[in-house]
Amino acid sequence: MADVVSVGVNLEAFSQAISAIQALRSSVTRVFDSLKDGMKNKETLEGREKAFVSEFQDILQSVNRDLNELERLSNLVGRPSESHPLHNSGLLSLDPVQDKTPLYSQLLQAYKWSNKLQYHAGLASSLLNQQSLKRSANQMGASAKRRPKVQPSTLVIPPQYVDDVISRIGRMFPDMSIELFRPNGTSAVLLVTLGKVLKAIVVMRSLFIDRTIVRAFNENVYSEDGKIDIWSRSNYQVFQKVTDHATTALLHYQLPQMPDVVVRSFMTWLRSYIKLFQAPCQRCGKYLQDGLPPTWRDFRTLEAFHDTCRQ
Amino acid sequence: MLLTFLFFPIFKWLQCVTVPVAEGKSVQQTVEMLNKKLEQLGAVKQGNFYVDCETYHAGAPAIANSGQSQKFLYVMHNSEAPLSCFALFENGPCLVADPNFDVLMVKLKSYFQNAKGNKVESRGARYQYCDFLVKLGTITMGSSARGISVEVEYCPCIVANDSWNLMMEFMQSFLSSHVPGAPAVFGVKPDGIYSPSDTMVQYLELFNKVRKQQATPSTGMR
Repeated sequence: MADVVSVGVNLEAFSQAISAIQALRSSVTRVFDSLKDGMKNKETLEGREKAFVSEFQDILQSVNRDLNELERLSNLVGRPSESHPLHNSGLLSLDPVQDKTPLYSQLLQAYKWSNKLQYHAGLASSLLNQQSLKRSANQMGASAKRRPKVQPSTLVIPPQYVDDVISRIGRMFPDMSIELFRPNGTSAVLLVTLGKVLKAIVVMRSLFIDRTIVRAFNENVYSEDGKIDIWSRSNYQVFQKVTDHATTALLHYQLPQMPDVVVRSFMTWLRSYIKLFQAPCQRCGKYLQDGLPPTWRDFRTLEAFHDTCRQ
Repeated sequence: MLLTFLFFPIFKWLQCVTVPVAEGKSVQQTVEMLNKKLEQLGAVKQGNFYVDCETYHAGAPAIANSGQSQKFLYVMHNSEAPLSCFALFENGPCLVADPNFDVLMVKLKSYFQNAKGNKVESRGARYQYCDFLVKLGTITMGSSARGISVEVEYCPCIVANDSWNLMMEFMQSFLSSHVPGAPAVFGVKPDGIYSPSDTMVQYLELFNKVRKQQATPSTGMR
């Protein structure tokens, strides 16, 4: 209770001190005003100087007076309690009505949060700096000047080479047919038809696979205007799941120095879906789980697993 | 587009072989029980369906007198393909036509006579569970319920043999041990791609079984 009272007294002194500061500021301003105006026009030069000096002295005295007043008041105000780590915001804890205005606890929470956030962000940034997963040229180097140098050579592969690699992969797998389109510029879009099971659309950037989407064999791969549809998802849950897994596979197969190996590994992996509806899960031995067949294929062994059985 | 498998657990068989249905349960009650099972499984009801079949017999005098076995023509409709009409000969070809084929049949009265009172149809609820489509129908002939049809489709797969094991497992989950062997259609085109007429062939087989099952002497042809 004593604290509360003293806070009240301090407040009075505070307002007085604030007005004292205002007075000090205005008297200081007057000093500079008079200096700026210079000597007033009087009959003799001496008279001019005398008047100016006496006026200047007056003003300086008033500055001195105001300053003294302020110093006196500042003693009354007292020091802010430094015992509290939150300084003056710690005074919020004195609020007796905790239920209505839980400001203090919220403040503490926010403080903790921001501390944690900073800590984790630091950890994350140091981790991310170690891994360079730079798959597109835009992320390469902040300075525009250096960018052409940093750009990986794998992004400037001539289209003929891409065609070559793709057709070689197509010949490797007889049950898989690969059609190549270039709807927009040099970037290739592959339409992979796997047996009578699925159709996958693979969007490439030179020899990097950017995106893939898997649909059922009988679903449309062309949109209404006759262009290849690289956006809409499959209507079937199985193939939505397979699309998700294929995207995971894209991130898994990474070998920036040899992009053709990456494409080949991905296609080999994708080919294991030829038995999507025929292979039971290697762990639980069943075909169905929550209405879905084993949609996951192991990246190394290509064995079939349910999504939840693979761990 | 779809792979269809259809089978027919005759109501009596259901009663005595597997699900211990209490004595005196009707077809309707068994259907309700199956509906409940499907819903417990997590299937969502999506409206209704029907499949019907009209029988015509080739009434041309030449055939009738020649002593050959009489040929039947079946005209079927399926709510899944509302803009088509299917005409089938037993063990013969299946013709997919526009819906106004019915009108044509009326014009061909002198060759094909409608066997009135021989119309068989199956009506019931349509359920979706993940990518499965289940149609649970009551087969009626005239005004009496004759049995239950269960049609199971696994929509993403178009090759029948591929998904057979998978479908077996699904059917076991709500029919327990009633699951039958692979339908004959599978054997006819082992590598073939499913077409809607395959469904109709299966339904026709099923309906013919229902007709044979009726032991009572009636005006029907068999």
